[in-house]
Amino acid sequence: MADPRPARSRFSPRLTAAFLCVFLLVFLRCASASRDVVSGSNETWIRPARSTQEDPHDHHGNSTEHKKAFPVLAFNFEHVRKPFEISMWILLALLMKLGFHIIPRISHVVPESCLLIVVGLLVGGTIKAVEGTNAPVLDSKLFFLYLLPPIILDAGYFLPIRPFTENLGTILVFAVLGTLWNVFFIGGTMFAVCQIDGAGLADVDLLSCLLFGSIISAVDPVAVLAVFEEIHINELLHILVFGESLLNDAVTVVLYHLFKEFSHEGSVSVGDALLGVVCFFVVSLGGILVGFIYGILGAFTSRFTSHTRVIEPLFVFLYSYMAYLSAEVFHLSGIMSLIACGVIMRPYVEANISHKSYTTVKYFLKMWSSVSETLIFIFLGVSTVAGPHDWNWTFVVFTVFLCLVSRVLGVIGLTSIINKFRIVKLTKKDQFIVAYGGLRGAIAFSLGFLLTDSKMKHMFLTAIITVIFFTVFVQGMTIRPLVELLAVKRKKESKGSINEEIHTQFLDHLLTGIEDVCGHYGHHHWKDKLNRFNKKYVKKWLIAGERSTEPQLISFYNKLELKQAMMLVESGSTSKLPSVMSSVSMQNIQPREPPRRRAMPSISKSREEEIRKLLRANLQNTRQRLRSYSRHDLMIDPFEDNVSEVHLRKQRVEMGRRMSHYLTVPANRQEAPPVRKVGFQPALMSLHLCPPEHQVFTYDDAESPRSAEMKPRSAAVRLLNELPQRSDQSDAEPNAKQDDQEDQLKLSRGLSDPGPNQEQKES
Amino acid sequence: LGGSCANLLLSHSQITRLYSRFTSLDKGENGTLSREDFQRIPELAINPLGDRIINAFFPEGEDQVNFRGFMRTLAHFRPIEDNEKSKNPTASEPLNSRTNKLLFAFRLYDLDRDDKISRDELLQVLRMMVGVNISDEQLGSIADRTIQEADTNGDNSISFNEFIKASFVLTLHTLL
Repeated sequence: MADPRPARSRFSPRLTAAFLCVFLLVFLRCASASRDVVSGSNETWIRPARSTQEDPHDHHGNSTEHKKAFPVLAFNFEHVRKPFEISMWILLALLMKLGFHIIPRISHVVPESCLLIVVGLLVGGTIKAVEGTNAPVLDSKLFFLYLLPPIILDAGYFLPIRPFTENLGTILVFAVLGTLWNVFFIGGTMFAVCQIDGAGLADVDLLSCLLFGSIISAVDPVAVLAVFEEIHINELLHILVFGESLLNDAVTVVLYHLFKEFSHEGSVSVGDALLGVVCFFVVSLGGILVGFIYGILGAFTSRFTSHTRVIEPLFVFLYSYMAYLSAEVFHLSGIMSLIACGVIMRPYVEANISHKSYTTVKYFLKMWSSVSETLIFIFLGVSTVAGPHDWNWTFVVFTVFLCLVSRVLGVIGLTSIINKFRIVKLTKKDQFIVAYGGLRGAIAFSLGFLLTDSKMKHMFLTAIITVIFFTVFVQGMTIRPLVELLAVKRKKESKGSINEEIHTQFLDHLLTGIEDVCGHYGHHHWKDKLNRFNKKYVKKWLIAGERSTEPQLISFYNKLELKQAMMLVESGSTSKLPSVMSSVSMQNIQPREPPRRRAMPSISKSREEEIRKLLRANLQNTRQRLRSYSRHDLMIDPFEDNVSEVHLRKQRVEMGRRMSHYLTVPANRQEAPPVRKVGFQPALMSLHLCPPEHQVFTYDDAESPRSAEMKPRSAAVRLLNELPQRSDQSDAEPNAKQDDQEDQLKLSRGLSDPGPNQEQKES
Repeated sequence: LGGSCANLLLSHSQITRLYSRFTSLDKGENGTLSREDFQRIPELAINPLGDRIINAFFPEGEDQVNFRGFMRTLAHFRPIEDNEKSKNPTASEPLNSRTNKLLFAFRLYDLDRDDKISRDELLQVLRMMVGVNISDEQLGSIADRTIQEADTNGDNSISFNEFIKASFVLTLHTLL
């Protein structure tokens, strides 16, 4: 604890590394301290030797006192031990992650997962060396209940649905048939290997081998995610490997339990095998069903959360986690349940929750999954050091070798079958990447850890860890140069343009139509039917308010516009005006030149020019203020307030709030009313003959703040001055229409003869 | 029929299937299909693009389509096979090549056949796809934005080249 902290310079990798080492040491001291502390939770006692704090004078070495003086300072670690340790671990993990990104050279070559495992090894080694006792091992319960769900939820919630459903057949074939092939090939061959004399493996029977095969053959989603995230491969391959890693969970669960049960008995009958098949369907479909139910519940709940926006994200998380746990209760596939829940819930929840909640959900999921992933890899490293190992050369080497071989054979074999049914065939390059991307990870380790203790278990664990290390290190590190070498298509950075959305929908309709003409009930036909059903019934139930009838195209467009508007708010300078400034109301935060077409038709051109000149002249100065002005801010009367910085900031916040509110308010025409409600509108409505929506506030933005500044030099100005005053008096607008004519006359009169001050009329 | 089959590169089983479909649609039993025959297909009636698809089958100005024309249009939608190109490099581009597929889709937008998708044509398509509840202004702004994104030569409409570029290379590939 007395280590001097080096002066922390953020840009010096060496110092940061030094700092991290120091931190490690501190951490280890803490860990060791926690063990030394006498477990007595309520005991408070003083340790003058250890503490860096000043001991009060009275107690220094005073052992002859009868009465124990009131302890001013005490040390009680046991009290906070568990949370403290957990926090320290997580903090360590995150600091490591931070450290890697500060040292750029390494992170280009080595994927993060490798580095984290190495760190885990170091930490484990240090603890073992310092302590002599074992470091905490990756507890299976901890892994399956706390560390795995966030990652899967993150993956499932943001699963790109289109590529997934389009390639679902392929993914299922790889997941189910591929894994089955792997299991039996590896299990069988390993059994054959075990029969070789001299390897000392004679006591490993067939069932144990098959059990081992079932543990080791499943592709791991965590590892795949960790590695594939960094190489930015094209969407098709990404979804193939990743989808496979998710969906093979059902197969793994069934086979694992099957073989585990029967390895005790020593034989499997045909009836059991059949039951196994049935079990597979039950596990997978059951898991999906559970996820589906919770997903619908979540979507339904989100319908009513419009008044309690703060807790919305929690619903998403909790329903999903409950789906996972409920599936685990029945030994169904928790992963598939979680994925199903996320996928089902997402479109409806997103239509219901506010923009901020959506951002919260997104960031929390990313955050948790990131932390989980980091912790998993670190623990993997620590467990490697800790666990009892039984290294058997034959076994391990053959395992690694067979894993590779079976994967390659499996992919090639299955692809030749799959390609007959695919429109877009998988090329040799694709096959290679799919085969190479079959990484094993922590799930395999945890499953192995759950086995009953035996000599075989240690051997299995050693082999599993070796395979994991091999795939993560060797395959993980080399996949990036290989991808570049083979010139595999990379991910297209598409910005979600409206063009794509329109054309995609257009093509969908077109292809559905063609399928109908052919009488062929294909992919598009059923998708179309599902969409129709969705639109007609489901959306009405699960989406609140008018959003339920909003066509997909419109919501997509609104999202795009909202994104742009937010960008505008954040950047906040005229130069960053996007090239596309549509006339849709949401956009006009920054006032433009008043659209000529919609200008006051009854005012003469010269007057118009005059007004415009004035506006433009003063616009430059007050750009700051105008920027934060929006149609939603009309409640705040800008002429009365002093336009101060504080006020501006408030307005910006207000606008942000309004914008997030926007997403929950129907996106159709009725959106215009917020302007009306304020009562400003009637005055300005009178200026136009055309429908008021956009025109109203273009003038708003231009005129209203202006009036505060402009000295009443001309009639135009005075006119403008009058308007807000009238607005104070006028309330809601139902009779705006009748006033229009009147107002217009007044207006033109006001403009043509300067001086009329008595224009103040009640509306 | 043999020659045209070779041209369209449909397999024998596909042709047989299409022929049986053709005859089942042909209520008048006169070997040709009219627009009413198409409109009798229930799903096509609720498809927003139904009318345009039907029109695509009928060549310019005609009201009847025979089996050959029927097949010809449908041959656009066969998946692209790589080995075809090497077989007959001198033949004209097969109907189901990517460009031709895109051209087919483009023609469905571009009703007046001026090789440009104007704002109005885009508006019409949008209106068909989106339904009646959306205001004209909103649709207008969507159309404006679409053209803005795709239009590179500033003529305020989308030409075929711009159409190809603006679209989603990958999506088309996987859909067709």
